[in-house]
Amino acid sequence: MSDDQGLVLTSQRTDLIGRLRTTLARRTEGRALALLVVVAIGAWITEPVVFTSYDVTLGRIALIGLVALGLTAVILMGELDLSVASTLAVAGVVMASIDNLAIGILAALVVGLVIGAANAFFVVVVGINSFIATLGMLFFLRGLGFVLSDEQPVRLSNIEAGISFGKPLIGDFTPRMLIFIATFIAMQIFMTRVRVGREFYAVGGNRQAAYDAGIPVRRRIFTGFMISGIVAAGAGAINTLERTAADPTAGSTVLLSSFAAAIIGGILLTGGRGSVFGTLLGATSLGILQVALTLSAVQVDVQNIIIGFVLFVAVITDPNSLRAVVGSARSYLRARTAPQPQS
Amino acid sequence: MTGEPRTTRFRLFGLALLVLGALVLAACGDDDDDTAASDGGADSEAGDDSGAAEGGGDFDVFALLPQGNDQPYGTTYLPPMEAMADELGINLTITNSQYDADKQASECETAVAAEPDLIILWPAVGDTVRPCLEAAKDAGIPVTVTNSDVNPEDQDLTEAYSGPDTYGQGVASGELMCELAGGDEIGIIMINGLTGNSTAIDREAGFEDTINEQCPNVTILARQPGNWNKDESQIAASEMITAVGAENIQGVYAADDTMVAGAIDALKARDIDPSELIITSIGNTFLGNPLVVSGELDGTVFQSSSWDGEHAVTVAYEVLTNDPDERLVEFMPSVKVTADNADDPSVAPEW
Repeated sequence: MSDDQGLVLTSQRTDLIGRLRTTLARRTEGRALALLVVVAIGAWITEPVVFTSYDVTLGRIALIGLVALGLTAVILMGELDLSVASTLAVAGVVMASIDNLAIGILAALVVGLVIGAANAFFVVVVGINSFIATLGMLFFLRGLGFVLSDEQPVRLSNIEAGISFGKPLIGDFTPRMLIFIATFIAMQIFMTRVRVGREFYAVGGNRQAAYDAGIPVRRRIFTGFMISGIVAAGAGAINTLERTAADPTAGSTVLLSSFAAAIIGGILLTGGRGSVFGTLLGATSLGILQVALTLSAVQVDVQNIIIGFVLFVAVITDPNSLRAVVGSARSYLRARTAPQPQS
Repeated sequence: MTGEPRTTRFRLFGLALLVLGALVLAACGDDDDDTAASDGGADSEAGDDSGAAEGGGDFDVFALLPQGNDQPYGTTYLPPMEAMADELGINLTITNSQYDADKQASECETAVAAEPDLIILWPAVGDTVRPCLEAAKDAGIPVTVTNSDVNPEDQDLTEAYSGPDTYGQGVASGELMCELAGGDEIGIIMINGLTGNSTAIDREAGFEDTINEQCPNVTILARQPGNWNKDESQIAASEMITAVGAENIQGVYAADDTMVAGAIDALKARDIDPSELIITSIGNTFLGNPLVVSGELDGTVFQSSSWDGEHAVTVAYEVLTNDPDERLVEFMPSVKVTADNADDPSVAPEW
């Protein structure tokens, strides 16, 4: 090999590594991936059952991740949807109240779409902050769920169908897992390959610039909330089928878990940064962590402390947060070490 | 221009170290429990911290509970349970679903995957546990139920039940109300437990059926959930007093002592003397018993958390060792507590 060829190869390798580094630096999933690797190794060492019974772990990931996937569409636009857990509960109650299973599922999904559209209406048309609008919706739906269910769990008319739904359909994969995977693929394609989905980033990144660029911002926000609503309603329908009953109190831990999955996945709550893949990584880390901690008999309070710690780590290792912390520390030290004027 | 990637690498490495540290801490916490257990299980504090008690015995048992040290009842339910498990040589793994049916279902899947000798189940929502019971049955794992029984149609999937007769507790509280009301026409307000919760539903049904049968002169004017919480119960009672008018209310029923304490505070806030009303409840707790002694609460029904926790394990042990042919049922005695016997050591409050 001549010196010239050697130089070219070295240069190509440097370019490749440089490009890889740049990609890694730009992607928001890096931290989520690192976290997942560490959590997976830790779980493998302490509780191998997490992986030998992978179907259980996948089930937990799907439980946390499905709502989080829908929520991602809203968060990427810099908005919040606090009503997802209540949507899940109401959709389940509506579904279980209808004797025909297919019509019940359809009705639940329609309920999710309507709730999403209502949330978007309050945010876009009325101009209420999404935190407040969806908080109001959360309370409204929670009450509605109790009224519709007569304050009691509503059992499915066809319990056997529900029990069958919870059993593996393909290999060890239950319908819940397959729906979760299908939703992930659909959302990933929508957010990366479809123009409407890509415009969500523009809406979240710089809303004024998105307006100026001719993006129909209001319509995109409507779409985002409706995606969140229908996915949450779908999760409600799945939960109702698997449990053979709809519980009006359902979803009490879903809201925080799904937000945690999105944040651990590197999604910026102010919008414009993050990805559906990141949410998947976040949900996977959280699912593995929860199953491992449950198997280790770690009390729920301690589990919450650990999950809170992981969430905290995920947030403070964000480059912007780190930069801000380092900047503040430097300013503080500079102020302390600067020569004081003599009186 | 290599500063940015290097910084990224540094951040990722730091992140990895931090998370690894957290996992090691969690694992260390678990090790402490193992150590305590191997020392004979005498160090109950370490066990309490992790929620797991290991007695180094012959049986591995998962206890799927909807509460733990986050609730007063769970706080006094767990230590006797863990102590009895140590005594009988049962390795307990305890979970807490915080009354989330989906979370408990997921914990059940985890428990079935771990292949224990038995599962003790305290249903978060009775109507939703059938798939969990079916999965355990398919895996050949017996299930016993504690505190709140499963629905009658699901009982053939379980081997035993121990705990309060929740319907019977409502009946006992209703009987107290009837006795105290005599033949007088009175109106009462009702504060129930968490909506949808099986204990809340059973107690409400037991109380209502009893007054309908034994004292139709008692009329329920309004009812609201207090969610097992004193503050929420106080708000609910206050709203109902406003809605039906204080002059129309001669009695209060609350599904537990925590909520009755909230209702009594709401009455006092309206300058209504609670001792002039007929007030009944369930629990005989540290909060309720002094109210009975002071005359503000006319009667309550004793529920022993230690009995409940201990019997969850003894009944499980019975199933594991004797494999009984029929479903075992052990009801906690529903002892009525009034001013006459509130000081009796046999009904001393536990939680």
